[in-house]
Amino acid sequence: MTVSEVRLVVIDPSGLHARPAARFVQAASRFSSRIVIRQDGREADAKSLISLLGLTIRPQSEITLAADGPDADAALAALAAELAPYVSQVG
Amino acid sequence: MGLILISHSRGLVEGLREMVAQVAGPDVPLATAGGTEDGRLGTSAPAIAAAITDVLKQSDNAVVLLDLGSAALSLEVALETLDDVDRQRVHVTEAPLVEGAVLAAVQASVGATVDEVIAAAASAATMPKLPRA
Repeated sequence: MTVSEVRLVVIDPSGLHARPAARFVQAASRFSSRIVIRQDGREADAKSLISLLGLTIRPQSEITLAADGPDADAALAALAAELAPYVSQVG
Repeated sequence: MGLILISHSRGLVEGLREMVAQVAGPDVPLATAGGTEDGRLGTSAPAIAAAITDVLKQSDNAVVLLDLGSAALSLEVALETLDDVDRQRVHVTEAPLVEGAVLAAVQASVGATVDEVIAAAASAATMPKLPRA
């Protein structure tokens, strides 16, 4: 079991909008780890579009991507790559 | 799992089909029934039945989203034309058409169960849209 986290800032002027969010959910669903996005004390299941869109992530907000499970590291690497056009990495 | 989109307007469901396909990708079977057979605003039981049959040919289960009013009555008539086995494979939701279709299609695209797809569609009724202040 691995627990991994990565912190990102959303730089796309539209925030995390429907199409990239949907691609993200599709990519997350390929992993068995539990994967969440946290923002401002709230948490969304990365494998659920409704949960993700419910965060209504604004441009310039900082998000944390966290994965917990056997393929956590691979999941975070793949998901960070998926989000790459829309985010910058923190720290 | 496939989706059937029913509206009084052909233009509306064709636009929605385009949006759903772009967001969820090409792997979720979609069929639409919009407007009357002569192109006016309204719903057509035969067109709905044809859309359902089309999706059932491509997937084990079909989730139906509809707009309002007589769409439900036309859908009932269309469902009566199916045999019992096919009818069991059709799942009608109360979900809002546009948001529900997008959410349901994305969950269907990741191989979710029928119950999960229906839950995703239903959740569209209460999902927040505006960014929090």
